[in-house]
Amino acid sequence: MELILANTGGYPRIGDTPEQQRLRRAHAQRERGELTPEGFAKVQDEVTGEVVREQIGAGIELPTDGQVRWSDPVSYVAAHLNGVSLNGLLRFFDTNTYFRQPVVTGRLSRRGTILAREYRQAAKAAGRPLKAVLTGAYTMARRSIIESGYRSLHALALAYAHVLAQEVAELAEAGAPIIQIDEPAILHHPEDLAVLGEAVLVLARGKGGARLSVATYFGDPAPIYDELQDLGADMLHLDFTYSPSLARIIADRGSAKSLSLGLIDARNTKMESAQTLFPVLDVIGRHLRGPAHLAPSAGLEYLPRDRARAKLETMRRLRDLYVRDHR
Amino acid sequence: MSRVKLRALGIDLPLLPTTSVGSFAKPDYLLAGRSRYARNEIDRDELRGLETRATEFWVRQQEAIGLDVLVDGEMYRGDMVAYFAELMRGFVQGGLVRSYGNRYYHKPIIVSAVFWPGPMTVDWWARTQAMTSRPVKGMLTGPYTVMDWSFNDHYPSRRAAALALAREIRKEVEALIEAGCKIIQIDEPALSVRPEELPVAIEAMHVVTDGLPAYFLTHVCYGALEFIYPQMLELPVDNWDLEMSNSGLDLVDVFAEHPFTKDLSFGVVDVHSHELEEPDVVRQRVTRALSVLPADRVWIDPDCGLKTRTVDETIGKLGLVVDAARTVRGMLKEGSA
Repeated sequence: MELILANTGGYPRIGDTPEQQRLRRAHAQRERGELTPEGFAKVQDEVTGEVVREQIGAGIELPTDGQVRWSDPVSYVAAHLNGVSLNGLLRFFDTNTYFRQPVVTGRLSRRGTILAREYRQAAKAAGRPLKAVLTGAYTMARRSIIESGYRSLHALALAYAHVLAQEVAELAEAGAPIIQIDEPAILHHPEDLAVLGEAVLVLARGKGGARLSVATYFGDPAPIYDELQDLGADMLHLDFTYSPSLARIIADRGSAKSLSLGLIDARNTKMESAQTLFPVLDVIGRHLRGPAHLAPSAGLEYLPRDRARAKLETMRRLRDLYVRDHR
Repeated sequence: MSRVKLRALGIDLPLLPTTSVGSFAKPDYLLAGRSRYARNEIDRDELRGLETRATEFWVRQQEAIGLDVLVDGEMYRGDMVAYFAELMRGFVQGGLVRSYGNRYYHKPIIVSAVFWPGPMTVDWWARTQAMTSRPVKGMLTGPYTVMDWSFNDHYPSRRAAALALAREIRKEVEALIEAGCKIIQIDEPALSVRPEELPVAIEAMHVVTDGLPAYFLTHVCYGALEFIYPQMLELPVDNWDLEMSNSGLDLVDVFAEHPFTKDLSFGVVDVHSHELEEPDVVRQRVTRALSVLPADRVWIDPDCGLKTRTVDETIGKLGLVVDAARTVRGMLKEGSA
């Protein structure tokens, strides 16, 4: 079994050493008016370069830009759109992190490119292509309030999809080999799978030569595994940490799509071991089509920086051991 | 019913009692003192003196504003979980993780069995209560939230970690009661994050509060309570202190569908906004509270702790809370609310 080491999304943007807290200080300076927007953007670029290189140093073969600029997974893109204002803070799924809720006040449209410039900058710092990551249209719609402009979740999800499809096209144009669409909300609302399916198809039309991955996490994907296989994406990322039965389901039903195996717990500091990881890989391995990604269950920003790096290093060590012993 | 319990405990409160959720802004001299302490430039006693001075400042402010049930303001705490994790055995301090924006906290890691180290908040409660004749709440973080907001390298499951914490936190509750504390708030802001784990949170809270003679509140904020309502009412506390304003009072509609069976502390000012609400807006929020519960079961307070606001903003927002409660009390007396 070929296993490619990938990051799933975010990476801690600060650490516990003074030099790792540059972004935090810059943020505070900007709030006090002591740093210009350009000066702050420069620090964001530099920190993005650092976290990309740190992932590569830990052995990751397909890093992300760490989503260093993302204020939260929902409002970062929403804040760049016409037809949206931002409301109060809400908890982001079962994490101890928060997002500002978009309030849709009119028809959605982009004011301009949102992610492609950042992608190019990060890929340049990495010296290699990165996985691009953005929150999907369905989850964006699920986390928004409609005041006007749209009459249903379905209509809003498709509107977000048309906006995000432009981002997908630009990311593909910028050279992203894989564009990951995060759709954690679908695990909590399986009744909306048809809406998700339509939204993914809209995004897929913009992907050009890139491969489109749909990521679910913060819940058990086993109950909707078959429906996820029907999505118009090339790849699925699955969070194994909530699901006692997922490995067996994959073994029983196989996978028509490439899989990203979220087997490394991105929410807890306890390090994985050969005893916990290898039996799962043994169950799944023979049933996969082509190379799979081995990845954290979700973005790594839920961990302290030192533990996030240790998780990636552990993942590399275990992958190398597994491949050596199962060659 | 809980008003009867309060009276039995010797506490008589006005209609629509006013309080606050727990934390206040630390004055500049205390922030500077904490930094100096971190750099070993002052000793523990000197820092404690500054914390006491700041606590007394907030007690006087709360009295002047006219709040009915006071808090110590948590001048001696950084984070609501990290404070306890730093004192209890079984934890180590983890690195910084982000909560939102540019806010980070040290998320603790459970590395071995947790143990109560002896009183963690009792001295501060007693010190604060001695400063005022008004009742002061004891303030703790609940076992489910401490578990959820910590990493767990030791216990085999989240439930096992929560129950172990509950057994130790109960000892702190007993110590507070022994010291004379009669109103104890046990914050569980993580309560709604995994609806399937609500039974674990309820089981843990039973371990903490069962059979103990105090009026218990719990504070919950920024969650999706609609997914655990009305089952959440089984949590063994007397009063739910809820963030209502930040979410546009949408919980009022949820509560209208199934009777709210406990007392309710109704958040009427947004703690994440620098701006002071218009007095009429706050008063209308108080009136909305009365649409779900009889007035004798409603308390009025801010949405959440005020530590992220400035001293002036905090005083302004607490003043709005008290003014609105007084206005509505008057309206109730006149029969116009």
